[in-house]
Amino acid sequence: MKRQNAGVWVGGIVVLFALVIFIQSFSLKYYTKFGPGPGLFPIWLSGILLLIGIAYIWHSFKKEVITWADILPKGREMGNVLSVIVAVAIFMLLVNVTGFIIASTVLLFILLRREYKWYTGLGISSGVSIVLFLVFKSFFTIPLPVNMFGW
Amino acid sequence: MEALGQLIGGFETAFTWWNLLYCLIGVTVGMLVGVLPGLGPTTGTALLIPMTFGMEPVSAIIMLSGIYYGSMYGGTITSVLINTPGEAASVITCLDGHPLAKQGRAGVALGVAGIGSFIGGTISIIGLAFIGPALAELALKFGPPEFFALMIFGLIMVIGLMGRSLIRGLIAAFIGLILSLIGMDPVSGAVRFTFGEAHLMNGLDLVTVAMGLFGLSEILFGMENLQKLDKPGKVKGLLPRKEEWRPTLNAIGRGTGLGFFVGLIPGSNSVIPAILSYTLEKRIAKDPSRFGKGAIEGVAGPETANNSYCGAALIPLFTLGIPSSPTIAIILGAFIMHGLTPGPTLFQNNPDFVWAIIASMFIGNLILLIMNLPMAGMWAKIAAVPPKLLYPLILIISIIGAYTVSNSLWDVGVMFVFGIAGYIMKKLDIPMAPIVLTFVLSKLMENSLLQSIKMFDGNVLQLFARPISGTLLVLSLIVLCLSVIAEVKKKKAGFASDVEM
Repeated sequence: MKRQNAGVWVGGIVVLFALVIFIQSFSLKYYTKFGPGPGLFPIWLSGILLLIGIAYIWHSFKKEVITWADILPKGREMGNVLSVIVAVAIFMLLVNVTGFIIASTVLLFILLRREYKWYTGLGISSGVSIVLFLVFKSFFTIPLPVNMFGW
Repeated sequence: MEALGQLIGGFETAFTWWNLLYCLIGVTVGMLVGVLPGLGPTTGTALLIPMTFGMEPVSAIIMLSGIYYGSMYGGTITSVLINTPGEAASVITCLDGHPLAKQGRAGVALGVAGIGSFIGGTISIIGLAFIGPALAELALKFGPPEFFALMIFGLIMVIGLMGRSLIRGLIAAFIGLILSLIGMDPVSGAVRFTFGEAHLMNGLDLVTVAMGLFGLSEILFGMENLQKLDKPGKVKGLLPRKEEWRPTLNAIGRGTGLGFFVGLIPGSNSVIPAILSYTLEKRIAKDPSRFGKGAIEGVAGPETANNSYCGAALIPLFTLGIPSSPTIAIILGAFIMHGLTPGPTLFQNNPDFVWAIIASMFIGNLILLIMNLPMAGMWAKIAAVPPKLLYPLILIISIIGAYTVSNSLWDVGVMFVFGIAGYIMKKLDIPMAPIVLTFVLSKLMENSLLQSIKMFDGNVLQLFARPISGTLLVLSLIVLCLSVIAEVKKKKAGFASDVEM
């Protein structure tokens, strides 16, 4: 994976995206009896993007080879980036069950634990979560997700 | 003179207690996002939009535009004190601002930047007040073909000027154009590209997309290099020496003109006038070798230019309804959410609104001047919050911001996906500004194109037969060709890299 060409991969995703839209566009009317239809603009856009995507893949193969190893960080830096992604994913899984305060504490703790002692991290995480919850709930009256106990 | 009367009316609206408060909140948040690295004006405005839903439209736009021009002031402080630009437009300020700080003259650098920003900002708003109505009058004569051509021109300028390569810019632009088509088409009623997902019926939300691309991706980037920032030094003495006043004021004057002119060009960004101003000052200086070692003109010129740019860049938005940068695109989104249509009819249909915004910008600039001159040291302390604490906090606030868009996790998920996409795109040098800009413009472009085609009975080439649209399209083609040639010759130095403003 690390040695693979990142530009080609991203170009591939772009081409795939354009292709799906391009094919879908044909199910929309290109021209109606009242004039141009909802299919006209997307067909042209996705068609052009398809060509640009292919050109980008060619460019990444021939002119400018960028591998994943060139652009992705290693070791601790990679850990930091991944921990953000994991923390947000866990937050989204938890929040509707546990409510905002617990989910947000977990999210912050995952990130702060890497840099602070565990009790400092836990203290900041829970403190910030409670303050944010109160501020948004009472000051901005935004209904954040809550658990069965109402927080 | 008519404008003057209306401006006074605008001040009456802007001077109500609530609007003053919202102006103060706006510019304070602007300073904050300007000072904090990793949080830009695009994310700042996107975050605050959900909180404006319950407000009067005037108050909402007063606050959001406060963030926009306020961030220009904030970025300077970190550039000078810790050599870390809080905002892309202040990158140039590091060159001479930080050396000045090392000589113990940080106060002077900040003072000059504050005064220059104030003068540049105010004069460009006066320009907006007087050129705006005339330009709107002209734009009223525009039909769908002219608007279509104008948007094409703006887009080509963005792609041509920004980023390292044309092909990457084009990819970004077309992805933005297509993403915005998702959902129900208001013209034909056709449902497009929702793949059976009910959340997609209303399309993707600009706020969540922008927060992902600019906010979350920046957090991921920042977490990758958690470095310690320098401790800011003491700030004292805000005014330049007697003999420095003349060159400083001259540099401010030149910066104002330059920034204003660049602001009028659709698709430009605030880094361009700053770079141009720095180059100009260095070229006309008697002793160019001082630059880079703490030349006061090297701070005064660019700082003035980027603030002057800010006011002028609102002119295309107010008169044509066309945003020239991602932050302005978000403000455009806020206009629409509050039931206003930016464009030539705005000055006619909602004059009270427009003039109140313009008046509030005078007030906002004055507040910022006060905030900056005596209180610069306090802002510098905020910049000293360690990134390892700052980024997690910004992350959770962004999540709440995305959640509030429709009170559902769906929007958090959308932000998450666009955040990761933005991170990878940043690594591959694919610019993100074109995505957000085209995302806003796509529907308008589609409408004007389809209307034009109908007008011309299907003959698209007629677009070239009308004088204004023809000229704009030919100009766009020329810019496109020049970019292709520059790319083939590998001479494209990335005039201004991908920035938010």
